[in-house]
Amino acid sequence: MREVITTDLVIIGGGPAGMTAALYAVRAKLKTVVLESNVTGGLVNSTYTVENFPSWPSIHGMELMEKMRAQIDELGVTVEEVCEVESLELDGQWKKVVTDSAEYRCKAVILATGRVPLELDTPTQAQEVHHCAICDGAAYAGRHVLVVGGGNSAFDESLYLLASGIEHITLVEAMPRYFAAESTQEQLFSSGRVDGFVSTKVVDLIVKDGVLTGALLENSESGRRWTVDVAGVFVFLGQKPNNSLFKDILPLTKQGYIKASELMETGIPGVFSAGDINDKAFRQITTAVADGTIAALSAERYIRSAF
Amino acid sequence: MFEELSDATFDGRIAEVKAGVCIFYKQLCPHCKNMEKVLEKFSRLQPEVTLLSVDIEQNPVSAGVCGAERAPTIIVIRDGKVAGRKAGLMNPREMAQFFDSCR
Repeated sequence: MREVITTDLVIIGGGPAGMTAALYAVRAKLKTVVLESNVTGGLVNSTYTVENFPSWPSIHGMELMEKMRAQIDELGVTVEEVCEVESLELDGQWKKVVTDSAEYRCKAVILATGRVPLELDTPTQAQEVHHCAICDGAAYAGRHVLVVGGGNSAFDESLYLLASGIEHITLVEAMPRYFAAESTQEQLFSSGRVDGFVSTKVVDLIVKDGVLTGALLENSESGRRWTVDVAGVFVFLGQKPNNSLFKDILPLTKQGYIKASELMETGIPGVFSAGDINDKAFRQITTAVADGTIAALSAERYIRSAF
Repeated sequence: MFEELSDATFDGRIAEVKAGVCIFYKQLCPHCKNMEKVLEKFSRLQPEVTLLSVDIEQNPVSAGVCGAERAPTIIVIRDGKVAGRKAGLMNPREMAQFFDSCR
């Protein structure tokens, strides 16, 4: 039997948008709970250096998120981490959020579920496919690895892999150009230990006796196919909206994002959304915290008028 | 909640543990932070399990002996011996199954 908890506001997602919403909500005297499926901080935890958050010229993403978390802890926000939300009932004046350990009944909900990394889509799967250079890079010291992706994450993580002692990197990007900052591209390629290929995708992985031995690549312009001998694969293909909880109960864009109003309203009274899950042009920590602010203030206004 | 071990204390402490879990982590590893929360939740359900931790970069000998190349790596300890090892992230349910499978 799950514990039933009644509260004013439930925020689903504990990244910068969710934590900022909690900060504003609790200061507005709303009894607030943050439910996070992993640990608070979201994708920022995986960002090695944040250099565009006002007041911090340069800070590790995890450190910035720990500071944000400390601030909401200080204010008395209830945060449940490693918490699996199993179902939502968003219609009606009182909303219901059921998790693996409790049932929350609340006056308003803010959806701040953000995005999740895209997986490598190949017919053959391998256990040597990773998404985090810090976590898994050292296991491949002295060896050749494949990096998939041509954005800032792929280049930054590749630099970290080289620093971890990786002997050689083959980096592939499916589009005709890389999207990482020019300075980072120069830094990586000037190492002399990286081969880069644009317009190139991973067709399949080659696994022998349960161990990854290589990857089959294809250039989409020439049609040329070739194999590279690699011991590991690091995937940085970007992200997709984390909408599985509400994709059948909320109207979403074709890409799966929430079309929120300027006040972060979703179209269902008492349900707001904030951060990367919203359809928008720019996804930055600063835009997430702005969304979180607006969502919390809108939720407070809604609760004061509807209850 | 976690008792921090070093290369100097690892072998002696493991030998004393009847039922335990040790996480090998790195300071800047986001999945490690996540896995620590999973273990805290797991421990609330199984309070008799001792939680231990080892910083891989500060303690290469223990990490090497336990094959902890990746972070996080989890080892299960039963009656003073390493009974199982698994690298990568697990949810609390998978962690409980892994712990039970290490007999």
